[in-house]
Amino acid sequence: MKDTLQQLLQGQQGFVELRYHKRTANSFVAQKGRVDVANHAITEGVGVRALVGGAWGFAATADISPRAIKRAIDQAQSNARMLAKVKAGPALELARGRLSHQQFTGPGYTELTQMKLEDKLAQVVKYERQLAAASARMHTARCQYKEIIEEKAIVTSDGVACSLQLAQPEFSMTAIAEQDGERTTGHKGAGVSGGWNCLFKHPALDNAVDETARIAVDLLTAKYPEGGQKTVILAPAVVGLLCHEAIGHTVEADFVKSGSVAQGKIGQRVASDLVTMADSGCETISGYAVGNLPFDDEGVETENTVIIKDGFLRSYLHNRESAHEFGVAPTGNARAWLFNDEPLIRMRNTYLMPGTSRLADMIAGVEDGYLVEGAGSGQADANGEFMFGTGYVWRLRNGKKVELLREATLSGIAFDVLQTVDAVSQEFLWDLGTGYCGKGQAAKVDAGGPYVRCKITVGGEQA
Amino acid sequence: MSHGAAPEHESRESIEQTAQTLEKLANYGLDAAKKLGADATKIATSASFQKRLVVENKVFSLANSLSSRSIGLLVHKDQKKGSASVNTVTEESINHAAASALALAKYSVPDEFLTLASLSEAPRAKPLPFLYTDELAAVDLVEIQGFMQEVLGRLTSDARIALDRFEMAVDVSCHALASSTGMRQAERQAMASWSFMGMGRDGEEVTGFDYDSGFALTKGAILPGCLRDSTAFVAKLLALFKPRQCPTYKGAILLTPRAVHELLVDSLLYHAGGRQVMDGKSRWAKSVGQRVVSDKLTLRDHPHDPRFSGATGFDSDGIPTKQQTLVEHGVLQMILHDCYSAKRCKGKSTGTSGGPFALEVAAGTTSKADLLRSHKQLLVVDRFSGNADPIKGDFSGVAKGSRLYSNGEDAGSVTETMIAGNFFTIAEEVLGVSRETELVSGGFLSPYILVGGVSVTGG
Repeated sequence: MKDTLQQLLQGQQGFVELRYHKRTANSFVAQKGRVDVANHAITEGVGVRALVGGAWGFAATADISPRAIKRAIDQAQSNARMLAKVKAGPALELARGRLSHQQFTGPGYTELTQMKLEDKLAQVVKYERQLAAASARMHTARCQYKEIIEEKAIVTSDGVACSLQLAQPEFSMTAIAEQDGERTTGHKGAGVSGGWNCLFKHPALDNAVDETARIAVDLLTAKYPEGGQKTVILAPAVVGLLCHEAIGHTVEADFVKSGSVAQGKIGQRVASDLVTMADSGCETISGYAVGNLPFDDEGVETENTVIIKDGFLRSYLHNRESAHEFGVAPTGNARAWLFNDEPLIRMRNTYLMPGTSRLADMIAGVEDGYLVEGAGSGQADANGEFMFGTGYVWRLRNGKKVELLREATLSGIAFDVLQTVDAVSQEFLWDLGTGYCGKGQAAKVDAGGPYVRCKITVGGEQA
Repeated sequence: MSHGAAPEHESRESIEQTAQTLEKLANYGLDAAKKLGADATKIATSASFQKRLVVENKVFSLANSLSSRSIGLLVHKDQKKGSASVNTVTEESINHAAASALALAKYSVPDEFLTLASLSEAPRAKPLPFLYTDELAAVDLVEIQGFMQEVLGRLTSDARIALDRFEMAVDVSCHALASSTGMRQAERQAMASWSFMGMGRDGEEVTGFDYDSGFALTKGAILPGCLRDSTAFVAKLLALFKPRQCPTYKGAILLTPRAVHELLVDSLLYHAGGRQVMDGKSRWAKSVGQRVVSDKLTLRDHPHDPRFSGATGFDSDGIPTKQQTLVEHGVLQMILHDCYSAKRCKGKSTGTSGGPFALEVAAGTTSKADLLRSHKQLLVVDRFSGNADPIKGDFSGVAKGSRLYSNGEDAGSVTETMIAGNFFTIAEEVLGVSRETELVSGGFLSPYILVGGVSVTGG
């Protein structure tokens, strides 16, 4: 396909980008002894961006014949010409960066694509049966498996010519326990950029059946945490959520241009000097993170982009257009969900760098506080205000974990919370591999980090 | 046979041709699945063409033309199911999808309740002519740009508005369902839609992010509708500056129509859902005919009403839709069943698979101003961002875009205010319902509702 696309580019005027994308998505859901979803979906086509007169035009076609792609090129150029007539401001230009020529096949691709769908489904059904049988108090056992198999080829008139094959499987299990009309939930999940074996070796899935059931059952008799400003140790999933939602979105260059709270703060202190935060598209710390991509959807090779270094804001996240406008190199953050989506600035694997403390010592240093495990849904705002749900909570007293508590909500102003960080662990985990980011389009992302001790507002039991 | 991509310019004639092509594809898919051994098959086909313009940071940034088609098959084999979909609609791809769906069904778990709507349950739905007009379908990118240019003037009328994104699109689509039981449904639609996202920024002060959206089913309704929505959006953002701390109290809050959906209607629909009843997750499994919420609440679905973007003639099982009352003066009138949950619960489908489609909470008799004056201090909650446990009904999170009223006077927006409560408590403790209603993002019509029993914690 890459060769066909390159031939179609010959003789084109101005900048043209052709992106072939075939996605095979398989998903299975088993719960309460039945299979609710057993689905196989293929979405395939070519997206075309044309830059004419300093304006973008986009068109897409699901017909991948040369004739149809040529028609889509004409349409994208026509759209761009129309827009160029009315577009105000300076004509946009593109920074070059490291334009890719890679032919990349991701880890586990062959293993996952050669494994039969029915074998995967049978495993999911087996896990659901095991979870259902794990406790007499089980009301609902639910197991979900999804995999995304990506094939892409990207060529541009200024030299990109790359292709990839990627496998991104994910698995999660949810247990709802019941006693005397009270119901509580346990949840475990993981996603990787890799194969079936890599997925089920993810540390988050260690002893997953028993752990998921145990959490659900133990929470039946647990209390809620008390609300207020607390000393809290955030687990890697929560740290990842904080990095992604509350910091990461505010440093996406398109959002910075619009006026996010990070606008104009490069070089300023925004966090404790223990905080170094990055967004990486390449293998960093360990190789299984879901957002590992050799290049982005503009064909720019990815990198480990350090956003905050020792507490100081150092970089925004860029595509080629914003990089030129800001006078920096593109960071490889342009991503499109499907062939008919235009690339937007998106995160990949967003994380806090591990520190030098040990988790055990961090817990030992807390007189009265909480250890918050598991990330729930989360949202953050343009001004850095965030609110996250969490899984369950351990009460910490006199340096020890003393009591399991139910879920909490965490809220605050992200940069203010990061200023209070006083310990960062050596232990590290990518732990949001089942996550999807929404920004008009979806994006498969990962996030994680070490354990982090800070002060944060905990919304606990109703007043 | 290769049907390729949809043509670049859809006209009435071409969309009818497209609909005929989809029907042929559906029939081919039904035959293909049967030949491969399926006991029963349902097919969903769709085709769409979109013209879309994007403004980022107050500047036109992208002109977009998209065409797409898809076909999805659901097969039953030996009381087991599998499904597959493809967006390249050729005989080869449909054969692949049918084979994949059957392969999955083979290794699925037997389920005696699997069912497809019969022809008698799913006769041809009455067409909804307002869903499609040639005039709207023919609107091109230049005309969209003209509409947006005018609206942009309003959106940028105050330099403090940081407009992140403004989009407008015209979508022309047709979708159809067919099954081996003889069910056949088809619908076409032309719809203009718009959305705004942004915040306020004045020097170093940045407000919270907000968004809004709307739609039109006629060309003539685009500009007035979008101007109206943009005016409301700008006013809302400008009112967010200089937030104050909200006092901490337990008592009443006033829910805007958007918050009514998030804090009342979402939970109500959960417990009225056939799937939740089927799985033992609903509290209202045996409550039809009983009062389940305050008698001030009435909730109806209007799937044939052009005021709602979700209007449709049939549900995703192919059952014709109809106007229905879900809750009448607090009394639960029905459980929302699709064909599967109906069979499991020994009931009948209510034509709400994928729905309800066009919800309205009935207006009350009190003015909004009187509701605002009803308490010495009152938090008006516009959006909720937080955790909600649908089974227990507990919710806890941040009141976004919210304002404090003192003795009926607007005392300004509030900063980082947490609210916590329980759905069943506030649904019972409805203190007032406004006679004024607002349409939320084109999909939900509701009054303002005053509820009690909520913990408010100022930040």
